[in-house]
Amino acid sequence: MIAGLDGDGAAYGQLLAALGGYLRAHFRRRLGAGSADVEDLVQETLIAIHVKRAVYDRNQPLTPWVWAIARYKLLDHYRRTGARRHAPLDDAGELFSQDNPEEGAVRRDVESLLGRLPRKQRDLLRDVKLAGFSMEEAAARGGMSVSAAKVSVHRGMKRLEKEVGDEDR
Amino acid sequence: MKTADLIAALASEAAPTPPAPVTRPILAACAAGAAATLVLLVLWLGLRPLADALASRPFWMKAGYTAVLGLAGVLMVRRLARPGGRVGWAPLIALAALAALAGLSGLEMVHARPDQMHALMMGHTARVCSLRILALSAPIYLAAVWVLRRLAPTRLALTGAAAGLLAGGIGASVYGLYCDETAATFVVLWYTAGIAAAAGLGAIAGRWLLRW
Repeated sequence: MIAGLDGDGAAYGQLLAALGGYLRAHFRRRLGAGSADVEDLVQETLIAIHVKRAVYDRNQPLTPWVWAIARYKLLDHYRRTGARRHAPLDDAGELFSQDNPEEGAVRRDVESLLGRLPRKQRDLLRDVKLAGFSMEEAAARGGMSVSAAKVSVHRGMKRLEKEVGDEDR
Repeated sequence: MKTADLIAALASEAAPTPPAPVTRPILAACAAGAAATLVLLVLWLGLRPLADALASRPFWMKAGYTAVLGLAGVLMVRRLARPGGRVGWAPLIALAALAALAGLSGLEMVHARPDQMHALMMGHTARVCSLRILALSAPIYLAAVWVLRRLAPTRLALTGAAAGLLAGGIGASVYGLYCDETAATFVVLWYTAGIAAAAGLGAIAGRWLLRW
Protein backbone atom coordinates (compact mmCIF):
# COMPACT_ATOMS: atom_id res chain seq x y z
CA MET A 1 0.00 0.00 0.00
CA ILE A 2 2.73 2.40 0.93
CA ALA A 3 4.59 1.61 -2.29
CA GLY A 4 1.34 2.35 -4.12
CA LEU A 5 0.95 5.65 -2.31
CA ASP A 6 4.48 6.50 -3.36
CA GLY A 7 3.51 5.94 -7.00
CA ASP A 8 4.57 2.32 -7.64
CA GLY A 9 1.80 1.24 -10.00
CA ALA A 10 2.89 -2.41 -10.24
CA ALA A 11 2.98 -2.96 -6.49
CA TYR A 12 -0.32 -1.13 -6.16
CA GLY A 13 -1.94 -3.34 -8.81
CA GLN A 14 -0.72 -6.46 -7.01
CA LEU A 15 -2.14 -5.19 -3.75
CA LEU A 16 -5.51 -4.42 -5.29
CA ALA A 17 -5.64 -7.84 -6.96
CA ALA A 18 -4.84 -9.57 -3.67
CA LEU A 19 -7.39 -7.48 -1.79
CA GLY A 20 -9.91 -8.24 -4.53
CA GLY A 21 -9.52 -11.96 -3.82
CA TYR A 22 -10.11 -11.52 -0.09
CA LEU A 23 -13.02 -9.20 -0.66
CA ARG A 24 -14.64 -11.57 -3.14
CA ALA A 25 -14.46 -14.43 -0.63
CA HIS A 26 -15.79 -12.15 2.11
CA PHE A 27 -18.76 -10.78 0.18
CA ARG A 28 -19.53 -14.21 -1.21
CA ARG A 29 -19.85 -15.55 2.32
CA ARG A 30 -22.20 -12.72 3.18
CA LEU A 31 -24.36 -12.61 0.08
CA GLY A 32 -24.19 -16.17 -1.20
CA ALA A 33 -21.93 -17.33 -3.99
CA GLY A 34 -24.52 -16.90 -6.73
CA SER A 35 -25.28 -13.29 -6.00
CA ALA A 36 -24.53 -10.99 -8.91
CA ASP A 37 -23.85 -8.23 -6.41
CA VAL A 38 -20.65 -9.81 -5.13
CA GLU A 39 -18.50 -8.59 -7.99
CA ASP A 40 -20.13 -5.16 -7.88
CA LEU A 41 -19.30 -4.88 -4.22
CA VAL A 42 -15.72 -6.02 -4.80
CA GLN A 43 -15.32 -3.34 -7.44
CA GLU A 44 -17.04 -0.67 -5.37
CA THR A 45 -14.80 -1.43 -2.42
CA LEU A 46 -11.66 -1.35 -4.56
CA ILE A 47 -12.72 1.98 -6.00
CA ALA A 48 -13.42 3.30 -2.50
CA ILE A 49 -9.99 2.16 -1.36
CA HIS A 50 -8.49 3.91 -4.34
CA VAL A 51 -10.45 7.14 -4.00
CA LYS A 52 -9.86 7.41 -0.25
CA ARG A 53 -6.26 6.20 -0.28
CA ALA A 54 -4.95 9.60 0.76
CA VAL A 55 -6.89 9.24 4.02
CA TYR A 56 -4.95 6.06 4.85
CA ASP A 57 -2.66 6.64 7.81
CA ARG A 58 0.68 5.05 6.97
CA ASN A 59 1.36 4.30 10.61
CA GLN A 60 -1.72 2.13 10.92
CA PRO A 61 -2.12 -1.49 9.76
CA LEU A 62 -3.88 -1.87 6.43
CA THR A 63 -6.21 -4.77 7.22
CA PRO A 64 -8.61 -3.00 9.63
CA TRP A 65 -8.74 -0.12 7.21
CA VAL A 66 -9.76 -2.29 4.27
CA TRP A 67 -12.08 -4.28 6.49
CA ALA A 68 -13.88 -1.14 7.66
CA ILE A 69 -14.40 0.04 4.08
CA ALA A 70 -15.69 -3.40 3.05
CA ARG A 71 -18.09 -3.41 5.99
CA TYR A 72 -19.25 0.07 5.08
CA LYS A 73 -19.87 -0.91 1.46
CA LEU A 74 -21.75 -4.03 2.53
CA LEU A 75 -24.02 -2.06 4.90
CA ASP A 76 -24.54 0.48 2.16
CA HIS A 77 -25.56 -2.37 -0.12
CA TYR A 78 -28.04 -3.76 2.41
CA ARG A 79 -29.47 -0.29 2.83
CA ARG A 80 -29.93 0.14 -0.89
CA THR A 81 -31.45 -3.27 -1.52
CA GLY A 82 -33.74 -2.99 1.48
CA ALA A 83 -33.51 -6.07 3.60
CA ARG A 84 -30.91 -8.67 4.19
CA ARG A 85 -30.70 -11.08 1.30
CA HIS A 86 -31.32 -14.78 1.72
CA ALA A 87 -28.92 -17.11 0.02
CA PRO A 88 -30.92 -19.32 -2.32
CA LEU A 89 -30.64 -22.99 -1.45
CA ASP A 90 -29.64 -24.23 -4.87
CA ASP A 91 -26.54 -22.08 -4.67
CA ALA A 92 -25.35 -23.80 -1.54
CA GLY A 93 -23.18 -26.20 -3.53
CA GLU A 94 -21.28 -23.31 -5.06
CA LEU A 95 -20.25 -22.13 -1.63
CA PHE A 96 -17.74 -24.90 -1.56
CA SER A 97 -16.46 -24.45 -5.09
CA GLN A 98 -12.75 -23.88 -5.22
CA ASP A 99 -11.88 -20.63 -6.89
CA ASN A 100 -8.25 -20.49 -6.10
CA PRO A 101 -5.86 -23.03 -4.64
CA GLU A 102 -5.38 -21.19 -1.39
CA GLU A 103 -9.06 -20.85 -0.76
CA GLY A 104 -9.49 -24.54 -1.53
CA ALA A 105 -6.79 -25.47 0.93
CA VAL A 106 -8.40 -23.44 3.66
CA ARG A 107 -11.76 -25.02 2.85
CA ARG A 108 -10.23 -28.49 3.18
CA ASP A 109 -8.78 -27.66 6.56
CA VAL A 110 -12.09 -26.29 7.70
CA GLU A 111 -13.91 -29.38 6.44
CA SER A 112 -11.56 -31.77 8.21
CA LEU A 113 -11.96 -29.80 11.42
CA LEU A 114 -15.72 -29.72 11.08
CA GLY A 115 -15.64 -33.48 10.50
CA ARG A 116 -14.68 -33.95 14.14
CA LEU A 117 -17.93 -32.47 15.38
CA PRO A 118 -21.25 -34.31 15.72
CA ARG A 119 -23.26 -34.11 12.52
CA LYS A 120 -25.98 -31.81 13.78
CA GLN A 121 -23.53 -29.32 15.22
CA ARG A 122 -21.39 -29.52 12.10
CA ASP A 123 -24.33 -28.68 9.85
CA LEU A 124 -25.30 -25.84 12.11
CA LEU A 125 -21.81 -24.35 12.18
CA ARG A 126 -21.54 -24.66 8.42
CA ASP A 127 -24.86 -22.89 7.93
CA VAL A 128 -24.10 -20.06 10.30
CA LYS A 129 -20.40 -19.48 9.83
CA LEU A 130 -19.82 -20.47 6.21
CA ALA A 131 -23.10 -20.29 4.33
CA GLY A 132 -24.12 -17.01 5.93
CA PHE A 133 -27.52 -18.04 7.22
CA SER A 134 -28.88 -16.09 10.14
CA MET A 135 -29.09 -17.87 13.46
CA GLU A 136 -32.88 -18.07 13.08
CA GLU A 137 -32.69 -19.62 9.62
CA ALA A 138 -30.03 -22.09 10.62
CA ALA A 139 -31.98 -23.12 13.72
CA ALA A 140 -35.05 -23.71 11.58
CA ARG A 141 -33.02 -25.79 9.14
CA GLY A 142 -31.63 -27.89 11.95
CA GLY A 143 -35.04 -28.20 13.54
CA MET A 144 -34.06 -26.69 16.89
CA SER A 145 -34.81 -23.58 18.88
CA VAL A 146 -32.79 -20.43 18.30
CA SER A 147 -31.29 -20.44 21.76
CA ALA A 148 -30.29 -24.08 21.47
CA ALA A 149 -28.66 -23.28 18.13
CA LYS A 150 -26.74 -20.36 19.65
CA VAL A 151 -25.42 -22.53 22.45
CA SER A 152 -24.49 -25.28 20.03
CA VAL A 153 -22.65 -22.90 17.70
CA HIS A 154 -20.82 -21.35 20.62
CA ARG A 155 -19.72 -24.72 21.97
CA GLY A 156 -18.76 -25.89 18.49
CA MET A 157 -16.55 -22.84 17.97
CA LYS A 158 -14.91 -23.36 21.36
CA ARG A 159 -14.19 -26.94 20.48
CA LEU A 160 -12.77 -26.02 17.08
CA GLU A 161 -10.56 -23.38 18.66
CA LYS A 162 -9.27 -25.99 21.06
CA GLU A 163 -8.66 -28.49 18.27
CA VAL A 164 -6.74 -25.92 16.25
CA GLY A 165 -4.74 -25.00 19.33
CA ASP A 166 -3.88 -28.65 19.96
CA GLU A 167 -2.77 -29.11 16.38
CA ASP A 168 -0.47 -26.13 16.47
CA ARG A 169 1.24 -27.40 19.54
CA MET B 1 -16.34 -3.99 -16.29
CA LYS B 2 -14.14 -6.91 -15.36
CA THR B 3 -12.52 -6.58 -11.98
CA ALA B 4 -9.09 -7.25 -13.46
CA ASP B 5 -9.55 -4.34 -15.89
CA LEU B 6 -10.70 -2.13 -13.07
CA ILE B 7 -7.62 -3.00 -11.05
CA ALA B 8 -5.39 -2.26 -14.03
CA ALA B 9 -7.13 1.08 -14.52
CA LEU B 10 -6.80 2.00 -10.86
CA ALA B 11 -3.17 0.89 -10.74
CA SER B 12 -2.38 3.05 -13.76
CA GLU B 13 -3.58 6.02 -11.74
CA ALA B 14 -1.04 5.32 -9.04
CA ALA B 15 0.92 8.45 -8.39
CA PRO B 16 2.70 9.75 -5.33
CA THR B 17 -0.20 10.49 -3.00
CA PRO B 18 0.57 12.63 0.00
CA PRO B 19 -1.44 11.73 3.10
CA ALA B 20 -4.59 13.80 3.33
CA PRO B 21 -4.68 16.11 6.33
CA VAL B 22 -7.39 15.12 8.79
CA THR B 23 -6.96 17.23 11.92
CA ARG B 24 -6.44 20.52 10.13
CA PRO B 25 -9.68 20.52 8.08
CA ILE B 26 -11.66 19.44 11.14
CA LEU B 27 -10.24 22.34 13.16
CA ALA B 28 -10.91 24.65 10.22
CA ALA B 29 -14.53 23.47 10.16
CA CYS B 30 -14.80 24.14 13.90
CA ALA B 31 -13.44 27.65 13.44
CA ALA B 32 -15.67 28.42 10.45
CA GLY B 33 -18.72 26.95 12.19
CA ALA B 34 -18.01 28.84 15.39
CA ALA B 35 -17.67 32.11 13.44
CA ALA B 36 -21.00 31.48 11.70
CA THR B 37 -22.62 30.65 15.04
CA LEU B 38 -21.21 33.81 16.61
CA VAL B 39 -22.73 35.90 13.82
CA LEU B 40 -26.02 34.08 14.31
CA LEU B 41 -25.91 34.74 18.05
CA VAL B 42 -25.15 38.45 17.62
CA LEU B 43 -27.99 38.90 15.12
CA TRP B 44 -30.45 36.79 17.11
CA LEU B 45 -29.83 37.41 20.80
CA GLY B 46 -26.91 39.81 21.04
CA LEU B 47 -24.03 39.51 23.51
CA ARG B 48 -23.90 40.11 27.22
CA PRO B 49 -21.50 42.86 28.35
CA LEU B 50 -18.21 41.07 27.78
CA ALA B 51 -16.20 42.85 30.44
CA ASP B 52 -18.61 41.50 33.07
CA ALA B 53 -18.49 38.05 31.54
CA LEU B 54 -14.72 37.77 31.44
CA ALA B 55 -14.44 38.88 35.05
CA SER B 56 -16.98 36.39 36.35
CA ARG B 57 -16.17 32.90 37.55
CA PRO B 58 -19.42 31.27 36.29
CA PHE B 59 -18.56 32.39 32.76
CA TRP B 60 -15.30 30.46 32.89
CA MET B 61 -16.97 27.50 34.57
CA LYS B 62 -19.45 27.27 31.69
CA ALA B 63 -16.86 27.97 29.02
CA GLY B 64 -14.53 25.35 30.48
CA TYR B 65 -17.23 22.71 30.63
CA THR B 66 -18.56 23.27 27.12
CA ALA B 67 -15.10 23.65 25.59
CA VAL B 68 -13.99 20.34 27.07
CA LEU B 69 -17.07 18.61 25.67
CA GLY B 70 -16.35 20.17 22.28
CA LEU B 71 -12.74 19.05 22.52
CA ALA B 72 -13.83 15.49 23.27
CA GLY B 73 -16.00 15.67 20.14
CA VAL B 74 -13.05 16.90 18.07
CA LEU B 75 -10.86 14.04 19.30
CA MET B 76 -13.55 11.47 18.48
CA VAL B 77 -14.29 12.92 15.05
CA ARG B 78 -10.60 13.02 14.21
CA ARG B 79 -10.29 9.29 14.80
CA LEU B 80 -13.62 8.28 13.30
CA ALA B 81 -12.89 10.21 10.10
CA ARG B 82 -10.77 7.30 8.92
CA PRO B 83 -11.97 3.80 8.07
CA GLY B 84 -11.56 1.52 11.05
CA GLY B 85 -11.06 4.44 13.44
CA ARG B 86 -12.07 3.80 17.04
CA VAL B 87 -13.54 6.25 19.47
CA GLY B 88 -10.68 5.84 21.91
CA TRP B 89 -10.72 7.42 25.33
CA ALA B 90 -12.22 10.77 24.31
CA PRO B 91 -15.68 9.96 25.74
CA LEU B 92 -13.99 9.60 29.12
CA ILE B 93 -12.91 13.24 28.92
CA ALA B 94 -16.53 14.25 28.35
CA LEU B 95 -17.72 12.05 31.20
CA ALA B 96 -15.02 13.45 33.51
CA ALA B 97 -16.13 17.00 32.70
CA LEU B 98 -19.73 16.04 33.35
CA ALA B 99 -18.78 14.41 36.66
CA ALA B 100 -16.76 17.47 37.73
CA LEU B 101 -19.62 19.83 37.00
CA ALA B 102 -22.12 17.52 38.65
CA GLY B 103 -19.86 17.64 41.72
CA LEU B 104 -19.88 21.44 41.67
CA SER B 105 -23.64 21.37 41.31
CA GLY B 106 -23.91 19.02 44.28
CA LEU B 107 -21.85 21.39 46.44
CA GLU B 108 -24.01 24.27 45.32
CA MET B 109 -27.20 22.45 46.22
CA VAL B 110 -25.90 21.31 49.58
CA HIS B 111 -25.06 24.88 50.56
CA ALA B 112 -28.26 26.38 49.20
CA ARG B 113 -31.32 27.23 51.26
CA PRO B 114 -34.37 25.23 50.20
CA ASP B 115 -35.99 28.31 48.68
CA GLN B 116 -32.92 28.90 46.48
CA MET B 117 -32.83 25.46 44.94
CA HIS B 118 -35.48 26.12 42.35
CA ALA B 119 -33.56 29.14 41.09
CA LEU B 120 -30.32 27.15 40.91
CA MET B 121 -32.00 24.56 38.72
CA MET B 122 -34.20 26.71 36.53
CA GLY B 123 -32.43 30.08 36.39
CA HIS B 124 -34.55 32.39 34.26
CA THR B 125 -33.92 30.78 30.86
CA ALA B 126 -34.38 27.06 31.50
CA ARG B 127 -37.18 26.73 28.98
CA VAL B 128 -35.17 28.06 26.04
CA CYS B 129 -31.57 27.28 26.93
CA SER B 130 -31.30 23.75 25.51
CA LEU B 131 -33.13 24.61 22.31
CA ARG B 132 -30.98 27.67 21.73
CA ILE B 133 -27.83 25.61 22.15
CA LEU B 134 -29.18 23.06 19.72
CA ALA B 135 -29.95 25.76 17.15
CA LEU B 136 -26.56 27.42 17.61
CA SER B 137 -24.74 24.14 17.11
CA ALA B 138 -26.31 23.54 13.68
CA PRO B 139 -23.84 25.66 11.64
CA ILE B 140 -20.89 23.92 13.32
CA TYR B 141 -22.39 20.50 12.74
CA LEU B 142 -22.93 21.23 9.07
CA ALA B 143 -19.36 22.48 8.69
CA ALA B 144 -18.08 19.30 10.32
CA VAL B 145 -20.25 17.14 8.04
CA TRP B 146 -18.96 19.01 5.02
CA VAL B 147 -15.38 18.16 5.99
CA LEU B 148 -16.16 14.58 7.01
CA ARG B 149 -17.72 13.75 3.66
CA ARG B 150 -14.34 14.44 2.09
CA LEU B 151 -12.69 12.06 4.52
CA ALA B 152 -13.89 8.48 4.98
CA PRO B 153 -15.95 7.75 8.10
CA THR B 154 -17.35 4.22 8.05
CA ARG B 155 -19.43 4.27 11.24
CA LEU B 156 -21.86 6.96 10.31
CA ALA B 157 -24.14 7.11 13.34
CA LEU B 158 -21.22 7.14 15.77
CA THR B 159 -19.33 9.71 13.71
CA GLY B 160 -22.50 11.80 13.52
CA ALA B 161 -22.86 11.66 17.29
CA ALA B 162 -19.24 12.74 17.73
CA ALA B 163 -19.77 15.61 15.28
CA GLY B 164 -22.90 16.56 17.24
CA LEU B 165 -20.92 16.57 20.49
CA LEU B 166 -18.26 18.73 18.84
CA ALA B 167 -20.91 21.12 17.51
CA GLY B 168 -22.91 21.15 20.75
CA GLY B 169 -19.82 21.85 22.85
CA ILE B 170 -18.61 24.68 20.65
CA GLY B 171 -22.13 26.03 20.11
CA ALA B 172 -22.72 26.14 23.86
CA SER B 173 -19.38 27.88 24.35
CA VAL B 174 -20.50 30.57 21.93
CA TYR B 175 -23.89 30.76 23.66
CA GLY B 176 -22.03 31.50 26.89
CA LEU B 177 -21.22 34.91 25.40
CA TYR B 178 -24.93 35.72 25.71
CA CYS B 179 -26.19 33.57 28.56
CA ASP B 180 -25.77 35.11 32.03
CA GLU B 181 -26.88 32.14 34.10
CA THR B 182 -24.45 31.52 36.91
CA ALA B 183 -25.45 28.27 38.63
CA ALA B 184 -23.51 25.06 37.99
CA THR B 185 -26.74 23.16 38.53
CA PHE B 186 -28.40 25.09 35.73
CA VAL B 187 -25.50 24.38 33.40
CA VAL B 188 -25.25 20.71 34.22
CA LEU B 189 -28.95 20.31 33.49
CA TRP B 190 -29.75 22.54 30.54
CA TYR B 191 -26.42 22.97 28.78
CA THR B 192 -25.87 19.24 29.00
CA ALA B 193 -29.36 18.59 27.64
CA GLY B 194 -28.75 20.88 24.68
CA ILE B 195 -25.38 19.33 23.88
CA ALA B 196 -26.74 15.79 24.29
CA ALA B 197 -29.60 16.65 21.96
CA ALA B 198 -27.07 17.90 19.41
CA ALA B 199 -25.15 14.62 19.69
CA GLY B 200 -28.33 12.54 19.37
CA LEU B 201 -29.66 14.43 16.37
CA GLY B 202 -26.15 14.37 14.94
CA ALA B 203 -26.16 10.59 15.12
CA ILE B 204 -29.51 10.34 13.35
CA ALA B 205 -28.65 12.90 10.68
CA GLY B 206 -25.17 11.46 10.27
CA ARG B 207 -26.50 8.19 8.96
CA TRP B 208 -27.77 10.11 5.94
CA LEU B 209 -25.55 13.15 5.66
CA LEU B 210 -22.22 11.41 6.07
CA ARG B 211 -22.58 8.87 3.25
CA TRP B 212 -19.90 8.96 0.65
